[in-house]
Amino acid sequence: MKKNGRFMVGLVGVAAVVTYLIWTGVSETMVYYMTPVELVEKVSEDPTFHEVGVKVGGMVVPGTYARVEGELLHVFTVSDLVDESVTFVVEYRDALPDTFTDDVEVVLEGKLRADGVFEATTLLTKCGSRYEASPEELAGTGS
Amino acid sequence: MTILGEFALWISLPVAAWGMVLGYAGGRTLRGDLVLSAERSIYAVFGLLVIACLGVSAAFLGDRFEYWYIANYSNANLELFYKVTGLWAGQRGSLLFWAVLVALFGVITVYTNRKKNREFMPYVAGVLQTIMLFFIVVLLFADVNPFERLEFTPADGRGLNPQLQNYWMTIHPPTLYLGFTAFTIPFAFAVAALLNGRLDARWIQLTRRWILTSWLFLSVGIVFGMRWAYEELGWGGYWFWDPVENASLLPWLTATAFLHSVQIQENRGMLKVWNMSLVLLTFLLTIFATFLTRSGLIESVHSFAQELKIAYIFLSFMGAVLAVSVVLILYRLPQLRSENQIESFFSRESAFLFNNLLLLGAAFSVMWGTMFPLISEGFTGQEISVGPPFFEKVNFPIGLVLLALVGIGPVIAWRRATKRNLQKNFTIPVTVGAITAVSLFALGARHELALVTWSISAFVLTIIATEFWKGTRARARIEGEGYVLAFFHLITRNRRRWGGYTVHVGFVLMCIGFAGAGYNTDSRFNVEPGDVVEVESPFGHTYELTYEGLSMSIGRGERNLLWQAIATVSVRRDGEPQGVLTTEKRQYTNRDTQPMTEVGIRSIIQEDLYLILSAMNDSGGALRNDPGAQGIDLQVLIKPLVNWIWIGCLFIAIGTVIALWPSVDRARMAREKAVGSAEPAAAGAD
Repeated sequence: MKKNGRFMVGLVGVAAVVTYLIWTGVSETMVYYMTPVELVEKVSEDPTFHEVGVKVGGMVVPGTYARVEGELLHVFTVSDLVDESVTFVVEYRDALPDTFTDDVEVVLEGKLRADGVFEATTLLTKCGSRYEASPEELAGTGS
Repeated sequence: MTILGEFALWISLPVAAWGMVLGYAGGRTLRGDLVLSAERSIYAVFGLLVIACLGVSAAFLGDRFEYWYIANYSNANLELFYKVTGLWAGQRGSLLFWAVLVALFGVITVYTNRKKNREFMPYVAGVLQTIMLFFIVVLLFADVNPFERLEFTPADGRGLNPQLQNYWMTIHPPTLYLGFTAFTIPFAFAVAALLNGRLDARWIQLTRRWILTSWLFLSVGIVFGMRWAYEELGWGGYWFWDPVENASLLPWLTATAFLHSVQIQENRGMLKVWNMSLVLLTFLLTIFATFLTRSGLIESVHSFAQELKIAYIFLSFMGAVLAVSVVLILYRLPQLRSENQIESFFSRESAFLFNNLLLLGAAFSVMWGTMFPLISEGFTGQEISVGPPFFEKVNFPIGLVLLALVGIGPVIAWRRATKRNLQKNFTIPVTVGAITAVSLFALGARHELALVTWSISAFVLTIIATEFWKGTRARARIEGEGYVLAFFHLITRNRRRWGGYTVHVGFVLMCIGFAGAGYNTDSRFNVEPGDVVEVESPFGHTYELTYEGLSMSIGRGERNLLWQAIATVSVRRDGEPQGVLTTEKRQYTNRDTQPMTEVGIRSIIQEDLYLILSAMNDSGGALRNDPGAQGIDLQVLIKPLVNWIWIGCLFIAIGTVIALWPSVDRARMAREKAVGSAEPAAAGAD
């Protein structure tokens, strides 16, 4: 029985380690997913949120995209999907994905700095392989 | 033809329902006519679904854009190849494709078992028909009918997403589907065993090949997907811990666990409940994977749909399967008792158990991380996601222990390992591992994770090589054969064992390749024609890249291309010319998207040179062929050891095929037996 006991300790040990890894993994890497409205609200309530990494989904405002000359810096404005009056400026220093246009839904990861500029570390555009069209769009393709 | 296909899909509904009822009824009453009818209904459903698939294909080839599916996934200009593979390009077609694969495997099962294992077959037929009925119901009633018509006929379709127009993308999904669907057969046998009470190792023997086949397709399918991401997505990675990727990994993890734990049941009569549960769980996860891929419940870079109806149907089906599985196992619990107990912590059983626990732990963490946004939203109302860092933090340590177990498991003794057994088997490999660590460190390798991975890999490879060597030498001595012949015979005489070792070698090679990512380099340059840039690789090669210029070709709609900007770069490695490499931006006519990037890859065995045309300084000028507008952003990546991932996968495939191959000896035995039994019969005739 002593051997079996040691064996059980081993099993429980593995389970505990895996649980611990998941637990710390979540708490260290979790990212809040918010809409711009929620983020702006949250930051005004709790200024420490300027330091917390968040994921934000929003719409690039057409015509606001600009590339800063001489460095790999993209600047554009993003608005909330529902309430278009809520916007903030985004700075992103990396290559843009192929699917980026200045009229696309984006998911940004980064933080909203105290000066109101969102510093994005990653940028994903929504849609990927979902390329299904509404009937109106289809009707338009032939003309 | 298309009308016929639609018609066939509708007819398959009652036929599958009929077969399902008869299968269960036949299993209970053991009436031969019912069972036969249930089995025949599988042939019928297969035939009907094939006609349905042909119907979809005919619509693709005939450019029948009045069908929603065709209008969304094809257009008149699409290459023939992609019209043929259009069947699985989107959600609707791939669900049909899935159903037809289940039916195909069902037909093979029914046919090969028409004269044997009759006690399982009624329920097997019933379970298979249940699953097919589910998919047919989804196809017909969940707003995903591939034969749905638009109210008008568009002049042309939307065309296929350019990112899916890639060789790997045409074979990656069907390979994964083959893996997913092949697992329905072991599931059907497991449920049949639970229903008819024949819970010895018979159902496991019957399904071993199916499970290995499924595992082979899953493994290869996952790696095909990695290869596609690497070539096509244009960011130099092959795994992003995307929900859909995770979903395909989950059944692979549990199936791998099963392949190992089942050996304990075969050798020691233990873990019966566990093995049964693993098969049921793996099947559920294959359904879950289809569900995630094809429903878009969780944000993913390749979700295909967002309809909720299909989500509810899938969730109810999975819930029902889970409930029935749990009830059946509880009901049969007394017959699933263990025949033995684990005797020692240092034993092969124990190593296998730890392997299982770790694989399940990995599966659980991947599941948890994938579902976390939903879980957190459900509990706190706040959507919180975890990204790749979470999966890496949890799974890298688990992966390393698993890697070490790959070495330990096969050579540690069953039941109880003695100190001598441990010393004899592990002294040299541990030394080799330690020497590897020290020499890599001395050579300047400082990436901890990579160092640990490579040292453990050296340890494992030494063990496996020793095993092969010992076996070959023993055989050469006993049989007096040459070493090459002895090596060959060694493998053919115990395919399962040596095939397994080959798979292990493949896994180790893949880990070595993964660890190479610790030394990836990434440099960005803004270059004008004639500019030369230099990049140093971790293996000490110097790449001298000369940007030759940008050439613009206007596609005029051929292959749906509007224009193609091709950046040409001459490559010299260590001063030796290596020819030119191109990287492109392509604009397709039928999408309102930005241009797509095509990367340029030059492979050598140690590393890949990976060029990305990030952006053109002045794309408008380039389009007008303005000679002053040729400047580009060029991203140069070096990917050390990445090729070992693909090579490792090849080993895995070869090893699995070796393990799957019917044994020569058994075939010979069967023949001898046939001859032996024929003789008395002949004598009786005299």
